[in-house]
Amino acid sequence: MLTEKIKSLDSEISAIAAISTTHEDIEKYRIEFLARKGKIASLYDDLKSVPNDQKPMVGQQINRLKKKAEEVYETLKSKLDSSTAKKELVDLTLPGRMLLHGTRHPITRTIEQMKSIFVSMGFGIAYGPEIEDDYHNFEALNFAPHHPARDMQDTFFIKDDVVLRTHTTPVQIRVMKSQKPPIRVIMPGRVYRNEAVSARSNYFFHQVDGLYVNENVTFAELKGTLITFAKNFYGSNIKYRFRPSYFPFTEPSLEMDITCFLCSGKGCRICKQTGWLEILGAGMVHPNVFRNCSYDPEKVSGFAFGMGVDRISLLRYGVDDIRTFFENDIRFLNQF
Amino acid sequence: MRISYKWLQNYIELKNSPKEVAEKLTSIGLEVESIEYLGKKYDGFVVGEVVEVSKHPNADRLSVCKVRLSQSTDAQQIVCGAPNVAAGQKVIVGLPGATIPKNQHDPDGKSFSLTKAKIRGIESNGMICSSYELGIGEDKNGIIVLDSSTPVGISLSQYLKLDDIVFELGITPNRPDCLSHIGVARDLAAVYGSSLKYPKVDFVEKKNFSINKIFTVKVENNDDCPRYTARVIENVTVKESPEWLKQFLSAVGLRPINNIVDITNFVMLEFGQPLHAFDFNNLAKNTIIVKRARVKEKFTTLDKKSHELNGTELMICDGDRSVAIGGVMGGMNSEISEATKTVLLESAFFSPTSVRKTAKRLGISTDASYRFERGTDPNMVDEASRRAAGLIAEIAGGEIVQGVIDVYPKVIEKIKIELRIFKVNDILGTNLSLEKINGLLQTLGIETQVKNNSLICSVPTYRPDIEQEIDLIEEVARLYGYDNIPNQTTVHSVFSQPSKIELHINEIRSWCESVGLHEVMTNSLLDEATALLYSTELIKVKNPLSVDLEVMRPMLLPTMLTAVLHNYNHGATSVRLFEIGSTFLAKHSEKTTRIQGISEYNKLGLILSGNAHDLTWYSKEREYDIFDLKGMVQSLLSKLGLDNIHLIYYDASSSLTEQTIGIEINGTYVGFLGQCSQKVLAQHKIERKVLYCELDLSVLIAVDEVRKFKEYSKFPSVKRDIAFVVKKNITAGDIETAIKESGGASVTSISLFDIFEGASIGEGNKSLAFSVTMQSREKTLTDSGIDALMKKIIASVVSTYGATLRSL
Repeated sequence: MLTEKIKSLDSEISAIAAISTTHEDIEKYRIEFLARKGKIASLYDDLKSVPNDQKPMVGQQINRLKKKAEEVYETLKSKLDSSTAKKELVDLTLPGRMLLHGTRHPITRTIEQMKSIFVSMGFGIAYGPEIEDDYHNFEALNFAPHHPARDMQDTFFIKDDVVLRTHTTPVQIRVMKSQKPPIRVIMPGRVYRNEAVSARSNYFFHQVDGLYVNENVTFAELKGTLITFAKNFYGSNIKYRFRPSYFPFTEPSLEMDITCFLCSGKGCRICKQTGWLEILGAGMVHPNVFRNCSYDPEKVSGFAFGMGVDRISLLRYGVDDIRTFFENDIRFLNQF
Repeated sequence: MRISYKWLQNYIELKNSPKEVAEKLTSIGLEVESIEYLGKKYDGFVVGEVVEVSKHPNADRLSVCKVRLSQSTDAQQIVCGAPNVAAGQKVIVGLPGATIPKNQHDPDGKSFSLTKAKIRGIESNGMICSSYELGIGEDKNGIIVLDSSTPVGISLSQYLKLDDIVFELGITPNRPDCLSHIGVARDLAAVYGSSLKYPKVDFVEKKNFSINKIFTVKVENNDDCPRYTARVIENVTVKESPEWLKQFLSAVGLRPINNIVDITNFVMLEFGQPLHAFDFNNLAKNTIIVKRARVKEKFTTLDKKSHELNGTELMICDGDRSVAIGGVMGGMNSEISEATKTVLLESAFFSPTSVRKTAKRLGISTDASYRFERGTDPNMVDEASRRAAGLIAEIAGGEIVQGVIDVYPKVIEKIKIELRIFKVNDILGTNLSLEKINGLLQTLGIETQVKNNSLICSVPTYRPDIEQEIDLIEEVARLYGYDNIPNQTTVHSVFSQPSKIELHINEIRSWCESVGLHEVMTNSLLDEATALLYSTELIKVKNPLSVDLEVMRPMLLPTMLTAVLHNYNHGATSVRLFEIGSTFLAKHSEKTTRIQGISEYNKLGLILSGNAHDLTWYSKEREYDIFDLKGMVQSLLSKLGLDNIHLIYYDASSSLTEQTIGIEINGTYVGFLGQCSQKVLAQHKIERKVLYCELDLSVLIAVDEVRKFKEYSKFPSVKRDIAFVVKKNITAGDIETAIKESGGASVTSISLFDIFEGASIGEGNKSLAFSVTMQSREKTLTDSGIDALMKKIIASVVSTYGATLRSL
């Protein structure tokens, strides 16, 4: 008897569902079937009079019906919402809420790129003071007190024997005096030269020095190390050359040039028509330098190199005035 | 050092092109910085012969000329405006494509390029030039007419004898031997395996009496002047030098003066030995004494400059007075003039150190001092003197007096160095044989003897740079060729210690970038007046570039403010900067001093200034204030894993900042943050508020990079809001501390969310509302437990600060 009623309600729901389209229709349906005193709720009252052995079966039928009625209601409602609800229009062209972002200085970027290449080759990193004494900056590096080699680096003096370091090479002395071989480090930092400021040169700039000391270190290894660096830093297809040169603290000494990447070696203003750009100086650590650090040049050998960061950065980023780096204009900094 | 390619060929036979020679020089360490073709600017100009001149049909002042430009080709038609053009003349013709150095119709005389053109309907295939147009004279009124014997078709540079090529060499300080043409030729001969040709010295001593009869030389300081020679040449005629000599000197950048001076310069550039010529008749008592200057002696050099001497200078004196500063510059009182009849020729070897000290002290650098400082060849002294005397006799018509006075008490011998073959190969990474190495060294003029597996090398005195074995190894490398030494790309494996500093600095940089700060790099030097605002312990540069760059920065702030000002002057509305750099103070402290009396610090500077937000559709404009920077710094310290942080709130403002907060980590002071004072801003002409923080990086980077995990509670947290009314002078920090202390471990965070002042809570009062979060590590907190805790907190704040609870 109750089962019959359930069946008839089921078809009634289906029929009404097919014709209910408005809010009123759906509300009427909800009240008729799903409200607290609606037709489905009354079925549960009827269930009480069903014999106990049939209760579970009939109960399940009522549950299924209730579930169907609810689903129909949700379906009808969502159909109506999607067809008639007023959408709030969002203007997606409004500017987004931007997050601030800062930048690293381009000189820092160059140094970091150099560091990462050398670190991958097993170099550590060391630092030293910018105000140095004559001993570390010159004397221990085999610059005799009255040698014209001192003219190679115009020097700022704090006292007669205290200077603003003219290169990062004095850190080599500090490292050798505080460690024992084998040593493999690079030494980045700021250096000073008493030179007029212009588009191509500034009174302070940045260098990265390198040092490798061990038993049986050779000039051939130095060349191999520099070529590996240059190919990583400037690109694997660069052309390079080594020229004999002179630094008091290395011997034999060399300078390394690469084909000017502005003119591809044809000759231009930047490479002074030579087609070559000098990128670094290097050489085998001079035995006098080893002796000054109490190392025995008969037992160890080593190589050292040094490169300027600022001029390389000019070419790297296409900046034409070195002073731009230190004006710190946000419009400039923002591009890196 | 300028080297004439033409003159180089007098000393060595060169079979290669100038460009190839230049590359060779560079490859052996004599870097050719540029190659200058002296006649290049006259490319496209030739000597022509005017064969026919007729009137231009359409222009009165123009002529139509037929000009023969070579022996073989037909004459070319050229339109010419010069009034003096006539048939039969030899003239200079610019061909299409040539660049006329100066346009005489242009007010500034700018250059222009010639093209084939029709001038008033008549074709013109070039231009006949005036001396003004060629830049070799001032005459604009007519074309240059050359001597009728000038051959047709030769180039203008040939005609002007501008066919030389000059190498600009960058000679390193260790190679004084290459500050001369013979020296450069010697290195080239070594690398090309060809022979060096010394100039032939024609030398006839015409006078039949000895120099010793008329002159004496005494050297008092043999250490500073190990060798001094003098020759006398009589009956010279001082006049302009011959063309070849003037051309040579001009090509290498020296101004011709007169034949005697030019010859001494020529021989210096040929041999590398500086010479000096005195007017013999101006030397008192026919004597030269080489001795030290008197203290406070005044001396006027050839360039008419007066110097006061301090007694250390080595002077060349006659019987009465000083006549030259030895090895540096001659004096006005004995210089060669047109009246000079007899010349005393000095050729000497001065000690490099002595010359350098004197030249440095007096601020004089001459071609002579430059060479002596680097080291000349003591054994080339007489050879150069003979060469010069011979040339003076030949060019100035002089007669050489017999003999030479040569004061050379201790002959400087070649030094001997042992070169071990294994050492060469150990250093270079090569496998060169003894024979190969021996051959290379011998081409340089180094004499060798084989001894077991070594070479005993005798080094010529013109190579003062070769002092020990490594110097010889360098010579081997240079001549063997750097390119021929292998490139070894595998090296011994040495593991470096990873740097903690790098990790921390990188983390700090990344954080700064992520919060919107731009990294700047500012000057390390600034003017003293500005710096004094920041510190009195300043480090001053003795020889600054300018007064604006006189002292080392005592803090990052002043130079960072320069960057702030620059940006405001260029339209910025918001300036957010950071810098990592060194600062310097004149004080001694164990931790920061590496050079006596100087402390150097590694600092991080942060600046916020201007708009925190610009006006946008979603937010109002707001200016940065101290709490932006305080929050930023707290967030940085927390990011770095630093937790034992103590902030010190200063009541009084310092001269630099107001609203200043000091920062201590684990009890160590690391820096401060604050708002720049008006005084500071006024000094830097900045009108907007600037917030600054400076932290000592050495403390920040000392933290351990490995962090230990701390267990957090697994039980739910409960939040309760609470507001107190207190007197205005009670700080939020006071209340917060009281809550924390009375709440104990269960209070996990306290957040101030409202501050209120108003009549409703009474004059002189404020209300502070906190949200307190409580959580236990052991259990879920019960309502009654929380209530008890809140009661305890309230009781504590009420009793400590006289607060009253405000109902929310």
